[in-house]
Amino acid sequence: MALADVCGIKQNQFSLSGSAFRSDTSELFRDVEVGSNNFSMPFNFDPVENLQQFQQQDSKVKIHFDHGTTTLAFKFKHGVVVAVDSRATAGPYIASQTVKKVIEINPYLLGTMAGGAADCSYWERVLAKQCRIYELRNKERISVAAASKLLANMVYNYKGMGLSMGTMICGWDKKGPGLYYVDSDGERLTNNLFSVGSGSVYAYGVLDSGYKWDLSVKEALDLGQRAIYHATFRDAYSGGVVNLYHMKETGWEFISRTDTAELHYKFQDEKKK
Amino acid sequence: MEVLNNRGVEDYQTAGPKQSYFSPYSFNGGSILAVAGEDFAVIASDSRLSEGFSIHTRDQPKTYQLTQNTVVGACGFHGDVLTLIKVLKARIKMYLHEHNKDMSSTAVAAMLSTILYYRRFFPYYVYNIVAGIDDEGKGCVFSFDPVGSYEREPYRAGGSASSMLQPLMDNQVGFKNLPKQARVPLSKEEVVKKVRDGFISAAERDIYTGDEVVVNIITKDGVEVERFPLRKD
Amino acid sequence: MSIMSYNGAAIMAMKGKECVAIAADRRFGIQAQTINTQFDKIFEMGPKLYVGLPGLATDVQTVAQRLKFRLNLYELKENRNIKPKTFLSMVSNLLYSRRFGPYFVEPVIAGLDPKTSEPFIASLDLIGCPMITEDFVVSGTCSEQMYGMCETLYKPDQEPDDLFETISQCLLNAVDRDAVSGWGGVVYIIEKDKVTKRILKGRMD
Repeated sequence: MALADVCGIKQNQFSLSGSAFRSDTSELFRDVEVGSNNFSMPFNFDPVENLQQFQQQDSKVKIHFDHGTTTLAFKFKHGVVVAVDSRATAGPYIASQTVKKVIEINPYLLGTMAGGAADCSYWERVLAKQCRIYELRNKERISVAAASKLLANMVYNYKGMGLSMGTMICGWDKKGPGLYYVDSDGERLTNNLFSVGSGSVYAYGVLDSGYKWDLSVKEALDLGQRAIYHATFRDAYSGGVVNLYHMKETGWEFISRTDTAELHYKFQDEKKK
Repeated sequence: MEVLNNRGVEDYQTAGPKQSYFSPYSFNGGSILAVAGEDFAVIASDSRLSEGFSIHTRDQPKTYQLTQNTVVGACGFHGDVLTLIKVLKARIKMYLHEHNKDMSSTAVAAMLSTILYYRRFFPYYVYNIVAGIDDEGKGCVFSFDPVGSYEREPYRAGGSASSMLQPLMDNQVGFKNLPKQARVPLSKEEVVKKVRDGFISAAERDIYTGDEVVVNIITKDGVEVERFPLRKD
Repeated sequence: MSIMSYNGAAIMAMKGKECVAIAADRRFGIQAQTINTQFDKIFEMGPKLYVGLPGLATDVQTVAQRLKFRLNLYELKENRNIKPKTFLSMVSNLLYSRRFGPYFVEPVIAGLDPKTSEPFIASLDLIGCPMITEDFVVSGTCSEQMYGMCETLYKPDQEPDDLFETISQCLLNAVDRDAVSGWGGVVYIIEKDKVTKRILKGRMD
């Protein structure tokens, strides 16, 4: 854990609170002063086994976390393109069509959201904090490889407890464009092209047929947007708007936010020509 | 039946293996609905608290005022709602004493998110919507899932009748599926009327929604409360 | 996942002034995967009688064909058009004959009486329990969303054009909050002297 030591990470230490009450925290205050400690749980409690009963369709008590996604990112000559949809579903019910699935960690790092929305946004915020601390300690930006590994190690500590996260960490560092896939099982991979989520199979189909390293910026952005649109068309659990980002040497740039309803008729007109 | 009879001689069957669960939750119904306006926000809930086919009380609105211009709507398991509100109020009071000012609505929302996530492995079974006025004086609404994923939205329905109210609000407040006419922002009175109509409709079809709708109108000057009757059957 | 939401569907019918409307979405999918977006779920059963069949797609087509078969026999025997209420009994009878191995469809019927032109709408559950209403009926995977829309937007005694607007808004906004139905819609407005079919453009996600 050499790297983690450098960053000052101790296991399970995610102290966010700087409250004045901290010194005299009694047991009574533990819940109130949450954040000073750990994730609270009853003793002898297996979260996976005990919570799955409430996530079933026919259960009277329904705890549905927001789920469902298509996200993609690929490296090419001029950086990294990141494209995502914006739908969150709870069972077949569409909970939101306007989710921000690209998490802006800092001006040189982006993370994507697939799986549990809360898991992704929380842990990537913790990652943002760790990356900032690294910067202050070392007077230089963290590499994409290190950042993604920090995240992978954090969620690995909770393996088997039911976290659900499939994310792509995209950035630009000394080595150029960086792209890592990290998930809640602890897997961490790097490659030129990834797509994650229920609609990823459709996105891969479009991506693979149009992907080249030498794409121009315009072609690459169009390919990303097109792949997400086609995934939203076929996959019931993906939809809403397509958010497009471009990672360059100077950091990420937000390109566009386009409703898939617009894209559908645009692409249909193209076919007629 | 074949399979069952093979387990023993008829009438002398042994009970099969039985699995029992730790069951820390129940569902107490109720709906909430919030709409953000230009310089105001409206958050409403019904006042029925029930379990299964019986009604515990007809006078338990599910909106709770936290600061001068922040109201949270919370429904799901009422036990968790009470605990969560207690924790929220305590944290907000601690903030007040420490910084000598009220917590802003956006800060309440961010804090609620982390409070919920710290129970990631034993969640509060509560669906929350925070409504208030943001730092620029505009109306704001934040919606949450039970483990703290949150998002700022122009309007949001939650609770047992959310699937009836939400498409209606998409249409009436979000102007979805309507021709691109002049989309004028709604006035306070129009929003209250639409919210009330929504609850009247929801009470027709959802047994967990009814009795009374309590509408909180939040402006920079504070919170005004209006009540309207709903079906009581 | 319930077998009723395996393919996904949303159907509703509404009464107007001397007219009725029936509307459906156009998706055929297998769970999350969308296969076809021009799928018929509303079937003509007479000049002024339509039935909508949401549910398991294989049963939708089987039931539609079996109903048409029974209907043809009836009309050959009686030499007249069937009344909507009689047709309701026919559907109920077919569904109940499979009481212990049901067809997974929950039909919606909309039509005008062939003689008096009295508007009629009704729905059934999957084993044939009929329900006749005076305002609207809904059936399918997003019935809650449709109830929410219809309960607020519906007004009695609307003219055909207004009824079309109402039912279209109800359908489109309801399916936009359901993952497994939508991808466009179709509306039939049934009047005394004509039937108008309109295809609705909707969100394709």
